Amino acid sequence: MMLEISDLHAGIDGKSILKGLSLSVNAGEVHAIMGPNGAGKSTLGYVLSGRQGYEVTSGSVSFEGRDLLALEAHERAAAGLFLGFQYPVEIPGVSNLNFLRTALNAQRRLRGEAEASGAEFMKLVKRHADDLGLSMDMLKRPVNVGFSGGEKKRNEMVQMAVIGPRLAVLDETDSGLDIDALRVVSEGINRLRAPTRATILITHYQRLLDYVVPDFIHVLVDGRIVRSGGAELAHELEREGYGAIAA
Amino acid sequence: MSQPLSLDAIGLPGRRHEQWRWTDLSAIDAALAGHANDAAPDPRGWLIDGVAGPVLLFVDGRYCAAGSDPQQLTIETSGGDEAHVLSRLTRGAVGATLRLGAEHATRGPIQLVHVATGGPAHLHHRLSLAVDAQASIVETYVGAPDSWTNVAVDVDLATGARLMRTVRRLGAGGVHTETLHAGVGQGASYMSTSLLAHAENVRIESQARLHGAGAFASLDGILLGRERQTYDVVNRITHDAPGGSSRQTWRSVADDQSTLSFAGKIEVARPAQQTDAEQSVKALLMTRTATVNSKPELEIFADDVKCAHGATVGELSKDALFYLASRGVPPAEARALLTESFISDALATVGEELVRAAVTADAVGWLRGAA
Ligand SMILES: Nc1ncnc2c1ncn2[C@@H]1O[C@H](COP(=O)(O)OP(=O)(O)O)[C@@H](O)[C@H]1O
Ligand SMILES: [Mg+2]
Repeated sequence: MMLEISDLHAGIDGKSILKGLSLSVNAGEVHAIMGPNGAGKSTLGYVLSGRQGYEVTSGSVSFEGRDLLALEAHERAAAGLFLGFQYPVEIPGVSNLNFLRTALNAQRRLRGEAEASGAEFMKLVKRHADDLGLSMDMLKRPVNVGFSGGEKKRNEMVQMAVIGPRLAVLDETDSGLDIDALRVVSEGINRLRAPTRATILITHYQRLLDYVVPDFIHVLVDGRIVRSGGAELAHELEREGYGAIAA
Repeated sequence: MSQPLSLDAIGLPGRRHEQWRWTDLSAIDAALAGHANDAAPDPRGWLIDGVAGPVLLFVDGRYCAAGSDPQQLTIETSGGDEAHVLSRLTRGAVGATLRLGAEHATRGPIQLVHVATGGPAHLHHRLSLAVDAQASIVETYVGAPDSWTNVAVDVDLATGARLMRTVRRLGAGGVHTETLHAGVGQGASYMSTSLLAHAENVRIESQARLHGAGAFASLDGILLGRERQTYDVVNRITHDAPGGSSRQTWRSVADDQSTLSFAGKIEVARPAQQTDAEQSVKALLMTRTATVNSKPELEIFADDVKCAHGATVGELSKDALFYLASRGVPPAEARALLTESFISDALATVGEELVRAAVTADAVGWLRGAA
């Protein structure tokens, strides 16, 4: 088992948001988590990645046999967890290339691996940026500053491809994408599918799931998974809405 | 003049005086009781590698011929400016004198290095550039604990002359005071960038007068404070002639219980139409216990003038810190990266690549040490 979330209760500022969430993910699998706005989908992403301010009140999360919740955010990343942000952050004054190289090498250091040389890094970035349709000129600019919604999401996918995580949790990576960008980003996600890796797609549209076909779909409502099924569940949700499923 | 024996004897104007209200030079008392260390320091560690050009070394206010390569620079003693409380202490002090014509380009930036090992040291540099002359000067001040370096700098730029000054305050303590007067002639350009760090107390008082039409001045800098360090910068830029422009870009990083203050005044006289003046002052509080002060001041008598000023005080963005953490960057490294980018605006005007790299490395060294 790559990821095992058991009866997770978590919240922020004393407000409880996740209310007994359990989920198991094996290597090689793609899971989709769907649910209405406010269900707690982003909160799950933040709690898994260790954002400050989120408080876990009970339950446990094990990732590759380790207690994920005991690790700091940067240690979770180095352990192989990647969060694709619903709203990627802008950082004026730090170029995308500097950001990404700092990140890649920090992870490698934490894992006791050799850092990437300048040339190795540039080659890696260029390949993935080409695949995802982001120019190197854009990557020389400050992180996400002046990027359109779609460019920010492509940038998340470039980061993911360069870092090569074991488990990617992608929070609404499909929102704000036009159909061409959706295809490019989906291909990026599919390229990373491998027997050793897993992906959790957080979305509230079924659209993305036509391109990245999940092995499992879970419906998250009010901080709990109320139903799980195969890829076909997406169409049922599309027809009947979350209300009917949750009831 | 006879040297004062205590801070009281210097007779600083005191906090009720507008220009001195944030000034704290209390570490001067310890410096006045301090003693120079006779072992001559090796200046080479303080030179910027790969920069060709004259080098003048001063140790504790005395010229050190052995470590110098003056080329066209001369050493002269100062008259001191009787009107200024700190500048007048430099009376009789030595300093570099540069009188450069357009025909005498230097081979590279001129480096003036002053090493203070203990006690008070006074210096007076005079930099005057004739019509269309150009020079770049890097001043490196290294201060030990219980030392006080008091520098007066007079700059005179004739028509079309261009001077770039880069000032670095390095070392392990002590006090640094500087009083600058710059006169900028027609179409001439005075640019300075100061990195102020490592001293217990700093006061920099700069007055640039743009007396020729189309003159330009930029007075930029970075203040890095920790512990109980108290730094105080007072700029006054006076536009006296039409079509001049000026820039002030200051970035402060205040840690621990440090206090970093900036007051910048822009004066535009009646004849100085089409003046374009900007001031950007930003401070980063690394802890809630640090203090930053900032005070922009405009005094405008011309009517066709563009003046912009902005001052902000903030903390590092939590969202940016989490974004970096989520990508594997440890907190200390993430803070350093964001802080480096924060100060980089104030280094943009340093022209030579090697000089900018050296100042950046100095700042980064401080930041990484602080993180
Ligand atoms: N920082 C916060 N402080 C208080 N409540 C929050 C905060 N962030 C999210 N919430 C609340 O938590 C609930 C779940 O939010 P979120 O996880 O963003 O949902 P989703 O991503 O499924 O739309 C919502 O009711 C939201 O208003
Ligand atoms: Mg969300």
